[in-house]
Amino acid sequence: MLEHILSILIFFPALAALLGFVVNKDSIRVYGIAVAGMEFVLALVLWGAYDPSIAGMQFMERMDLIPAFGISYLLGIDGISLFIIILAAFFTFIGIATLPNLKNIKNLIITLLFLQMTMVGVFAALDAMIFYVFWELSLVPMLYIIGAWGGEKRIYASVKFFLYTFAGSLVMLIGMLFMAFFYFQATGVWSFSILEWYRLVLPENIQLWLFVAFFFGFAIKVPMFPFHTWLPYAHGQAPTIGSVILAAILLKMGTYAFVRFSLPLFPDASVYFMFPIAILAIIMVVYTAMVAYAQKDIKQVVAYSSVSHMGIIVLGTFALNVEGISGAVFLMIAHGVVSGALFMLVGVFYDRRHTKLMSDMGGLAHIMPHYATIFGIMMMASVGLPLTINFVGEFLCLLGFYQQSHIFTLLAGTAIIVGAIYMLAAFKKVFFGNVVHEENKNLPDVNKKELFGLIPLVMIVVWLGVYPKPVLGPINNSVESIVQLMHDKAVTQEAKSVIPDLTKKVVISETIIEEVR
Amino acid sequence: MEITLNHYLVLSTILFAIGLIGVMRRKNLLMLFFATEILLNSVNIGFAAISHYYGDLTGQMFAFFIIAIAASEVAVGLGLLVLWYKRNGSIDLDMMSTMKG
Amino acid sequence: MEMYLYIALFAPIVGSLFAALFGAQPKTPIVGYVTSALIFTSLVASTVLLGAVMDGEIVHVELMTWIAAGDFYVPFGFQVDQVTVIMMMVVTLVSTIVHVYSIGYMDHDKGYNRFFSYLSAFVFSMMVLVMSDNLLGLFIGWEGVGVCSWLLIGFWYHKESATWAANEAFIMNRIADLAMLIGIFLTYWSMGSVQYDVIFAEAQYIDHSTLVTIGIFLFIGAMGKSAQFPLHTWLADAMEGPTPVSALIHAATMVTAGVYLVIRCAPMYDLMPEVGYFIASLGAFVAMFAATMALVNRDLKRIIAYSTLSQLGYMFVAAGLGAYWVALFHLMAHAFFKALLFLGAGNVMHAMDSELDPVKMGGLFKVMKVTAILMIIASVALAGIWPLAGFFSKDKILEVAFSGEHYILWGTLWVTAGLTAFYSFRLIMLTFFGEERYKNFGFHPHEAYKYMLYAMSPLAVLAVIAGWFEHQFVDFVTQMLPTFEFHTHHVEMILILVTSAIALGGIITAIVMYRNGPLSTKWESQFAYKVLINQYYIPQIYEKFLVQPYRELSDIFWKQIDMKIVDASVDAIATTFYNTGEATRGMQSGNLSTMLKWMVAGLVILLTLAVAFSVGYIAIIG
Repeated sequence: MLEHILSILIFFPALAALLGFVVNKDSIRVYGIAVAGMEFVLALVLWGAYDPSIAGMQFMERMDLIPAFGISYLLGIDGISLFIIILAAFFTFIGIATLPNLKNIKNLIITLLFLQMTMVGVFAALDAMIFYVFWELSLVPMLYIIGAWGGEKRIYASVKFFLYTFAGSLVMLIGMLFMAFFYFQATGVWSFSILEWYRLVLPENIQLWLFVAFFFGFAIKVPMFPFHTWLPYAHGQAPTIGSVILAAILLKMGTYAFVRFSLPLFPDASVYFMFPIAILAIIMVVYTAMVAYAQKDIKQVVAYSSVSHMGIIVLGTFALNVEGISGAVFLMIAHGVVSGALFMLVGVFYDRRHTKLMSDMGGLAHIMPHYATIFGIMMMASVGLPLTINFVGEFLCLLGFYQQSHIFTLLAGTAIIVGAIYMLAAFKKVFFGNVVHEENKNLPDVNKKELFGLIPLVMIVVWLGVYPKPVLGPINNSVESIVQLMHDKAVTQEAKSVIPDLTKKVVISETIIEEVR
Repeated sequence: MEITLNHYLVLSTILFAIGLIGVMRRKNLLMLFFATEILLNSVNIGFAAISHYYGDLTGQMFAFFIIAIAASEVAVGLGLLVLWYKRNGSIDLDMMSTMKG
Repeated sequence: MEMYLYIALFAPIVGSLFAALFGAQPKTPIVGYVTSALIFTSLVASTVLLGAVMDGEIVHVELMTWIAAGDFYVPFGFQVDQVTVIMMMVVTLVSTIVHVYSIGYMDHDKGYNRFFSYLSAFVFSMMVLVMSDNLLGLFIGWEGVGVCSWLLIGFWYHKESATWAANEAFIMNRIADLAMLIGIFLTYWSMGSVQYDVIFAEAQYIDHSTLVTIGIFLFIGAMGKSAQFPLHTWLADAMEGPTPVSALIHAATMVTAGVYLVIRCAPMYDLMPEVGYFIASLGAFVAMFAATMALVNRDLKRIIAYSTLSQLGYMFVAAGLGAYWVALFHLMAHAFFKALLFLGAGNVMHAMDSELDPVKMGGLFKVMKVTAILMIIASVALAGIWPLAGFFSKDKILEVAFSGEHYILWGTLWVTAGLTAFYSFRLIMLTFFGEERYKNFGFHPHEAYKYMLYAMSPLAVLAVIAGWFEHQFVDFVTQMLPTFEFHTHHVEMILILVTSAIALGGIITAIVMYRNGPLSTKWESQFAYKVLINQYYIPQIYEKFLVQPYRELSDIFWKQIDMKIVDASVDAIATTFYNTGEATRGMQSGNLSTMLKWMVAGLVILLTLAVAFSVGYIAIIG
């Protein structure tokens, strides 16, 4: 089973979702929990079977689809994708388990299971076309979730989300086609396999163009400033479960794709664009943090804070050294856990009072002490307190980028200040002071179902903050091989000097890749 | 005066222009069919003339294709037209706008 | 010995977690006892370690890996050496006393359990801070105490002022923490490690300007925690927290973390006397600056807070000038008498229903004899009168300044010594002596619980005797810290006399001026008074030029830029497509005739283009 575990992980939820159409409405919840739970267990099995000492791809599967153009069904994971897949399975599981009573819950659960297929697919795909297919498919369930279960402006928000990200992806698709064409020109064979592409050394000017093409697709997904405005709408209108999945997993596709495509395919372009992107990232960090501070809606605060943290991830990615990239990948996990938890926490209050405005809250620490405590822990994780999961990632990202530029790191480092400002201000408005609204006086504290979702998240936050090694180790291993690959592939002297030489052999797949010059 | 290729082409162009104007101006569906036939035949003249000029039979073969297509088109088109007339009592183009977007 | 290290370190967190189990419940007395007992356990373990270190054993353990990525590697490593063990003793001793005291002080508070959970968590963070063997581990404790401080300042979270002060403290510390992080980054990239032993050995080989940069950034970090100018405003506002918190966190331990950092990094700071001189100058400035604000303040706790600020300035002068052991000595002595002073103030507050204005008190000596005596002892120690602790440590600092021929620093500190004595006794006089003004306000003061007073007594003893062990202390800590060469033997006695004279002068002035209660209100219209009572208008300046613009800018960023520019331009693109469609949908009239016309038009355009391009193409080729 293990040699096909990735296919099982991808298609099991999809098949289960199809089957879900015939399941009785009353038992769909149990069915959903069971399927998502099994998927999560499978993901854990994957982790158990994963060999952390191997830096390259594992559990590879291959099946030719269109041999004439070198398109094949090619899957595989390394340390970078492994944990995001586990995270996706985990969040779908607890997301379904903690679903409140919504209308059409059957359709929602089926949609979520489809979404899970696309998420796992994106992170497991090693063929650009397969990647692209899953990448685009993931938009559809999300569109449906926002459009069908969203707030007042759900149609606007969902259409904006879809079209915006779709437009970016199309540019990316053109980039992919060109990339395949260049590969064809160089080798005489068509291939869309990312691993094959890794072997191609492109001249710098072509790298620059392709980098930009890919960048559009990824940057909108991340979302990077100034392409971020779809996110607050999507989060603002999406139901809790939609926001959780969106923040925890879907945004990570963009930054993951940077690590998977942009860096190893275009090392020189990455060096060339390092500082422009760093500037964008810094704007993202500071600017959106300030915007978050101005918000009146607690969910928007969390939404903008997501953008701000993604800025740190982008910065770490473009540190182009092992510390930075490992930190960025780790922070993807960390941010997934923390922002997912924060959205769930916002949902807890929304389910009770159907409002997200901070002016409708106030003094909640008196009424809901457990809620306040969990929120406080997550807030502290979000502002990057040491011994919580976020600190490890943020620290490594900034540490990595410090090697490239002192002043930019200082500017980006203000994240820890501005982050504290908006988070503490929001926390104060929501939990401190006296209870001013009569309606709030008898609110029940978090119930068992909600705790079932939140307690594991708290545990992960602390566990990986204190002992990140089980996750950071494999990530580090895989990142090292990517950095080495970039160093070996770099054409210009500048890039060679910026990207560190780790003097180790690169193992990307089973075959050792020889340099193609 | 010898009739050269140019004469044929001029004739084809004139016929094409007449057909085009007919297509634009006519409001009667039947007239529209006539206009399209003129267009097709102008093209046929062009094909045949150039084919002769180059001594290449392909053009003439293509003209035959067009004639065949035009015939089938008229057959189907007239059938629809008669049906339309029976149903609506008019074949005025301005009356046909159910596909308005 | 490793076991004792772990006990000393982890006993407080066990207590904190235990208390957290009862966090949301009303008062559970056992929580107070258990946490206090565990902190006491930690104290005992620290004492054992002290004994071990005295025998020359340095305990060093590596618990496990924390972060390892690329070449970066940092473990949870802990080390107990001479400096650490002194800090551990101070922290655990004061914490134990404060815990026991709090059992009484928080008696009627409904957040009783929560309070002990936070307080013990603070002790744990502080222990991590002092015991870590690397900069990043120190940073864990550094942030940890920041969070606990946030929790404890905002402990009474229904009060707007308390939560505001808590956020202010946290954010201001964060500003400094950023600098500290940058310092850590630079340390790593220039020396390849953040372990103390590695970087101290490496420091002399790296580029001097890099070293200076590291020194400055680390010191900025220290400035935040130790509330040095310009990051000082949070400390006075932090007095919103319960008084035991002020005693433990904002007097004895957390605020001295900055001084500890400089002492800990002595091998580095020793290599850059220019940074040291800057530290000393800033310290002297803050000493004077804070003392002046304490002169006129009408809030018991704020006066003591400014005094803390001022004493921290003293410590930085010593540390900056290279007399690290003197700084540590003063840190220790200060912890004892300042904690005592705060706990005394807590008793007064309890007696006066949380009233803090000493002008409304007066004559409390009659009802609160023990508290009054304890506070007087603490004040005398603070003023630096022989033979109490403050005398030995403060006098040494002045000697250090004089010995380095930094006469301006010396002069500043000398004047400040007088001010210190004055405001301390102003407070004593207003609170405990003179007319019984509290009766006009309807207060019924009473003495605190006995065991609270007993809990305070060890501090009183230490405030008296701590200075007597100067020689043993020097011998002990200079095994690790550099010694300091005094060049003042010929004038030593004169210096002592001069310093004691101004301190005594300050005390006597205060007693004489305030023997009949507060001065007339005529004073309050004077410019100098207004400046001082408004803290040099610095909080207002921050509010007006930093906080307000930040808030407004945030609003502009959101409403103007994000909504009206960034988002609007995205929408504009979408709207363009939409409007184009809307405008051209007329073409799709459904009328065959019209559509044919469009078709012809399109045909003509395409033909024209085709001709134009082919002509152009031929023109270029031909």
